[in-house]
Amino acid sequence: MTVRNDEALAVAPPRAIAALLGFAARIPWKRIGIVVGAYAACFVAFAAFSAWQGGNPLTLVQTMLNSSMLNGDALVQTLLRAVPIGFAALAAAIPARAGLVNVGGEGQLILGAVAATGTGLALGSQVPGPLALVATAAAGAIAGAVWAGISAAARVWLGTSESVTSLLMNFVANDIMLFLIYQPWKDPAGSGQPQSRPLPGSVRLGTLFGGQLNIAVFVLFAVAIGMWLVIRRTGWGFALRVVGGNPEAARRNGLPIKSLLLSSMLAGGALAGLGGALNLMGVEGQLQPGVTTTFGYIGFLACFLGRNDPIKATLAALLFSAIALSGNGLQLVEGLDGSIVNVLLGAIVLTMLAIGRKNGERI
Amino acid sequence: MHKRTRAAIAMMTAAATLALAACSSSTPGGGSSSSPATAAGSTTTVGFIMVGSTDDAGYNEAVSDGAKAVEKDLGTSVKVITADQIPENDSVTQTMQAMVSQGAKIIFATSYGYFKYALAFAKAHPDVTVLHQGGFLDGTFPANFGTYWGQAYDPVGLGGMAAGGVTQTNKLGFIYAFPIAQTIANIDAFELGAQKLNPAAQTYVVNTSSWCDPLKQKQAVTALLDQGVDVFSQHQDCQSTVIQAVKSAGKKIVGYHYDAAALYPDGWLTGSAWNWAPIYEKIIGAVQAGTFTGGIYNANWTGSFATGDNPLELASFGTSVSADLQAKIKAEQAALTKAGSSIFTGPIYCQDGTVLVAAGKVATYADTNSFSCLVKGVVGTLPSN
Amino acid sequence: MNIVGEVLTTAIPGSVALLYPSLGELISERSGVTNLGTEGAMLAGALSGVAVTIATGNPWLGVLASLVAGAACGALHAGAVVWRRANQLASGLVVWFLALGVTSVLGSPLNGQVIDPLPAVRIPGLADIPGVGPALFDQNPLVYLAYVAVPALWFFITYTRPGLTLRATGERPAVVFASGSHPSVIRFAAVTVGSALAGLGGAQLSIGIVGNWSDDMTNGYGFVAVAVVIFARWSPIGVLIGSYLFGAALAVSSVVQANGIAVNQYLLDALPYAITIVVLVIVSGFGRSNAPESQRDALSETQ
Repeated sequence: MTVRNDEALAVAPPRAIAALLGFAARIPWKRIGIVVGAYAACFVAFAAFSAWQGGNPLTLVQTMLNSSMLNGDALVQTLLRAVPIGFAALAAAIPARAGLVNVGGEGQLILGAVAATGTGLALGSQVPGPLALVATAAAGAIAGAVWAGISAAARVWLGTSESVTSLLMNFVANDIMLFLIYQPWKDPAGSGQPQSRPLPGSVRLGTLFGGQLNIAVFVLFAVAIGMWLVIRRTGWGFALRVVGGNPEAARRNGLPIKSLLLSSMLAGGALAGLGGALNLMGVEGQLQPGVTTTFGYIGFLACFLGRNDPIKATLAALLFSAIALSGNGLQLVEGLDGSIVNVLLGAIVLTMLAIGRKNGERI
Repeated sequence: MHKRTRAAIAMMTAAATLALAACSSSTPGGGSSSSPATAAGSTTTVGFIMVGSTDDAGYNEAVSDGAKAVEKDLGTSVKVITADQIPENDSVTQTMQAMVSQGAKIIFATSYGYFKYALAFAKAHPDVTVLHQGGFLDGTFPANFGTYWGQAYDPVGLGGMAAGGVTQTNKLGFIYAFPIAQTIANIDAFELGAQKLNPAAQTYVVNTSSWCDPLKQKQAVTALLDQGVDVFSQHQDCQSTVIQAVKSAGKKIVGYHYDAAALYPDGWLTGSAWNWAPIYEKIIGAVQAGTFTGGIYNANWTGSFATGDNPLELASFGTSVSADLQAKIKAEQAALTKAGSSIFTGPIYCQDGTVLVAAGKVATYADTNSFSCLVKGVVGTLPSN
Repeated sequence: MNIVGEVLTTAIPGSVALLYPSLGELISERSGVTNLGTEGAMLAGALSGVAVTIATGNPWLGVLASLVAGAACGALHAGAVVWRRANQLASGLVVWFLALGVTSVLGSPLNGQVIDPLPAVRIPGLADIPGVGPALFDQNPLVYLAYVAVPALWFFITYTRPGLTLRATGERPAVVFASGSHPSVIRFAAVTVGSALAGLGGAQLSIGIVGNWSDDMTNGYGFVAVAVVIFARWSPIGVLIGSYLFGAALAVSSVVQANGIAVNQYLLDALPYAITIVVLVIVSGFGRSNAPESQRDALSETQ
């Protein structure tokens, strides 16, 4: 008995080690190494570029962290900025599951903000607070869905490339917004500023923790997790993946391909619209020309970096938001051009593109 | 498999080393630079935020020049930090936040669209004085907020006189971006100035829907040339394209925002150019002396010729403006320095004949902020009509 | 002058700035690669054109530099797409972002500096045709080059052997491979050359039309080029028509206003994009037989 026990003890450790080794072998170390190395290489290349532009490569990383994460105010700003980018990323991620390319996040963000403005101004003072709040956010989501739905419908019934139509519709969306804020919706008390009237307090998102943070970023995290579950655990999510992965198999299995494509794009548009609405209700407070500046496109890239996974895409959006924010520090402390952050952003995504698994990725 | 695992571990180690090296090399330097310069006794950190590039030979370069002058003139009592190309959305709040982290006590938010963010930031940060350039607050001012601007339309009107005096075709062109009140006042003043010397002069207006879109600017010039326009002016943030296009066509230009006579000495008539340094320095002085709150800058401050402190000055004259015409313009400028005078002295009529400024009245700066019609003599309509 | 002539004079320089990138995109798509980085290549071409012109005083060296800068952007995109099988649309957007950042940083000191645009060369006789003469025949040499480029490209892809190989690469890469060519190499070359043309479009904008550099001066025209190609159903003649139509739609706002006609500027601004969308939808509704086969995959199915 004791002997056997001793034997077991003598044998057990190697077994545990073997198991551990087996586990270790299953972790894609090489992959992780490549990815970590690639990020490091991006930062080194970026530091070199900055040094050439007169920045100090030794203080660069510290400056960037200081102005995006390491102080409370900056961290809050990073979280706030992540809202439109993150929702735009989700807006690309869901259709991507079905093999559709939604480059229209920018326009869907804009129209979400436009619809939220219209609804919020109309309802704000007449409907009880929570209802008005929900209706305003919902209006944004619906507008985003409608806008994306146009591209989706053209794709499903006429075969028009949804990537190109959704891209062009960004420009149209911007003109619609400009028209509204320069003409019918212009704030009469705005001293001539091109902007809508401010949203009434009842449809503004309250701030949390005594700072500027609002609930929108938590909604983003919740939606990201929700979408992750929907894609993994529901029949709809599974069907989307089948359509995106193998349309022929989907057809043979009698999946309703048209409605799946359409619904994925509608869901994506709704998410971007919601993002535009929440950004307006939380941060901006009134519609004005600069309500989104390339956030939709950055979101698309975040979706790509997150490989169409809702949670990873949201994390990528947080990363991009932090990088965008660090542009302030780079200007103020390092004396660099603020646009230099686009170089880093582009370098990271390009590197990830280059090391992406061959044939393995779809967007 | 054994071999592969070892290779993977080796790579991982290499990557970790690289990452560590990157971090550790950055830490010591970062530690020393991250302490903002607040400790240094009486030094006030002043931040300037611009919407465009500091080298646009236009609005933003004028601000940048002002900031540089402040740094030079006030020496060690200020530390100037600047940020440019900050879009007109919540990004500007983030930039102001970052400036405060750098120890900024005074922030100049210099783009029109920054207004509400600057106001909100001032309310949230009572210890920071926030100034907005070009805005107009209709209401009570927080103790740490002010707007400042100049009666831009007066020098613009003088530029209009130069245009009216030089034109052969009696057709002037004005290229603008968006129909905001400031722009409408400038177009009206330009036409009124031209009429002073040339009652037959008409101003053709074209907008570009962008503060700086070179292709649209060039197209606007081409379209106006086809109408026979021979003197151009503009209200855009960047003015190189229009000047260059006018130069190619051999026509004349009246500038705005920045003295760009050097770009086209033969065709540059005159223009208006911002000289922001004096007002920046006065405001900084007031804050440092503790007299800002309740003072003249804790309000909608407007400089004018009449008060002798218009930040928008008449730019230099080009070679093609005769001495006689220069004398007439200077005489008018002298007349405008009399208290209560302005280019907007009634009677002034809108295109449709309605009265904009009644006879015997002079429009105030506040009045011009609600101008919404083009005056008689302007050809073209505002998009809102 | 009649209003049509006015629209033409105003539109043609800008149309040519769209035509080159569209032709470039056509070459790229014929080989089976969509390039949204066209916008970035235009920016790179516009900046390097101005920079080299200022440095050397010779605008033609600037034009050359814009070709090189455009090609560099294209090589980046092609490298990612062809050899790493990266997602085409994402890679294109990334190239745009990179170019946006790099040109903004490097171009900062050049903002506001002016150069003399390429001079117009008046073609005697033709330029005197009433109405359209000055618009078509009193322009800079890049405009005339465009007149030649369209039929040349048409001839190339329709009748020459390399042109056939290019098309085959877009349709049936396996056949190309079997016949001894390497589809990857052809794609890489096509994207790079196409992107060089986009750079040339940027040069037409910065050196040919306005004579200076300004941040983000392309304002989405590179994206429009992608749409023009689909609008044109992948034919050079269609690209010619498409880019001239789009250029006219851009110019019409200025001309109408200069004539004192009341317009809704926002409607006019949206018009070019809206027209393109509508035409795209109509064109695709009538079948897409003309599209390179791989494009059908690249643009709508997956990838």
